[in-house]
Amino acid sequence: MDLLFDSVQSALLLFMSFDAELFQIVLVSLKVSFAATLIASCFGIPGGFLIAYSSFAGKRFVLTCLNTLLALPTVVIGLVVYSFISRRGILGPLDLLYTQKAIVIGQVILIVPVVMTLIIAAISRIDNRYIMTALTLGAKRYQMALVVMKEARYGIYAAVIAAFGRVIAEVGISMMLGGNAKGFTRTMTTAMALEYDKGEFVLAVALGITLMTLAFAINLLFHFLQSRAKSNVI
Amino acid sequence: MLYSLHNLKKVYGSRTVLDIDRLDILRGKVYTLIGPNGAGKTTLLKMLAFLDKPSSGKVSFSGSSVEYTEKKLFPLRRRVVLLDQNPIMFTGSVWSNIEFGLKVRNIPMSERRKLIHEALERVGMERFGGCNAADLSGGETKRVALARALVFRPEVLLCDEPTANVDNENQEKILKIIKTINREEKTSVLFSTHYLSQGQQLADHTLLLQNGVLSDLTGENIFRVVVVERGRTTLTCQLTGQLTLVLPSHVLPAQVDSTKLHIDPCGIRLHLNGDDRSDGCLVNGQITSLHQDNGGVRVCVDIGVTLVMVLPMGEYQMQRPSIGDTARLFIPHEAITSMQTKV
Repeated sequence: MDLLFDSVQSALLLFMSFDAELFQIVLVSLKVSFAATLIASCFGIPGGFLIAYSSFAGKRFVLTCLNTLLALPTVVIGLVVYSFISRRGILGPLDLLYTQKAIVIGQVILIVPVVMTLIIAAISRIDNRYIMTALTLGAKRYQMALVVMKEARYGIYAAVIAAFGRVIAEVGISMMLGGNAKGFTRTMTTAMALEYDKGEFVLAVALGITLMTLAFAINLLFHFLQSRAKSNVI
Repeated sequence: MLYSLHNLKKVYGSRTVLDIDRLDILRGKVYTLIGPNGAGKTTLLKMLAFLDKPSSGKVSFSGSSVEYTEKKLFPLRRRVVLLDQNPIMFTGSVWSNIEFGLKVRNIPMSERRKLIHEALERVGMERFGGCNAADLSGGETKRVALARALVFRPEVLLCDEPTANVDNENQEKILKIIKTINREEKTSVLFSTHYLSQGQQLADHTLLLQNGVLSDLTGENIFRVVVVERGRTTLTCQLTGQLTLVLPSHVLPAQVDSTKLHIDPCGIRLHLNGDDRSDGCLVNGQITSLHQDNGGVRVCVDIGVTLVMVLPMGEYQMQRPSIGDTARLFIPHEAITSMQTKV
């Protein structure tokens, strides 16, 4: 118990001293996670919408595959991406291994199924009358899609936040594809794992607190947006 | 001709929900579509609004055959609007909801403002422009939905039970708006309803849909009558062989000796002692059922045939008729309409 108490105390001191290494790690984590979430959202939101609203042979199979991919271990993604971007891989000449870009690629693969399945669930719950009303009022297909997106916005926010939460907390991809290089690819989770291995708990606890604070702040922002949208008329 | 439907079928799995041999709908007229729940009214309206395609058959609109491709349907949809039975409001204000149809048509802002004001005024909701659409009552939602549908001046207004689930005051307002836009803007209107009497107040033509098939009107309070005697000012009609009704002669043209009559259930009254009105018929019967309905009480009376009347709640509470009671009913002449001219 003393160990934890001492670690928390030291971690708070580390915060207050604006430790450069701590902030560098947090910055890399945020940069990589935001980039991965943004890219995954660009693919996942329209992809989820298309799957939810189109009927095609094998749709059920696609949904089953997406649901299965939710359970994909990060180390498996790490291995697969590694085989492509390592020196001997077909993308080897691009020199991506042990860069932030490599982490982003792996994390995008990790969360695209998360975004898509949550978007499909959010959009499938939307009342069909929104579509009928938009169409009968003269909307083109894309305008109808915008109406549906607007009505499903809380589900979409939730999908994006869940995806961000998944990538900021993952360790396997960052470790395998980023290499935990100090100042370049060291993220909060990889740094915590390293500090734990070294038996140094202060930085690990400080990073843990930061991670939880960030998660809390993002959820707070989500609830703020939700309540503001509800109180606003237009 | 506005619409022309030939051998139109809509099939879901093994169930045929719509099967219409032929239906022609004229431009500029008001049509009412009557039928029980599950008769196919909504399916037909969706097809006429180009929101659903038939399983087989042919639909012509304004003389051109309808092709069911998104590219061809889109311009047709912009000429027609369907008002849902339970309209749904988009998130936002009443104003932004009404603006939607204008925005998607790229109408300039100044023009939009003018049209929205006019539409709100038309439905008597001028003060509600800034209100959150989700906060409106059922009747207000229907009126805003009507304004949203009419703001871009469609050629055809299709309404699915526009007066369902709204109070009497809002029902009257909605029906009045429908009548006005037909008269002033020559908008063709087709609306579905459960109430024949309501349809007949407004409609030039009445269509009855039963089990997906257009049928002859044989609905509630519709009786085939045969003229047995024609006097100078009155005519005596025999109803189903057992009962005679004496009606003013103008109800039926001289050459007609057999027709269908509709008796408005809301027009029939329980006859009280001392009431000596002469502008109607008196019939006796036995009450067979009582149901609460839309703020009143539906009373089925066996007069040889089943006659339905709707008593206002106040009158019901004063009279307290019971099942099995013998009732004396007064049917005013104005509650009787010949179907000859309407169908």
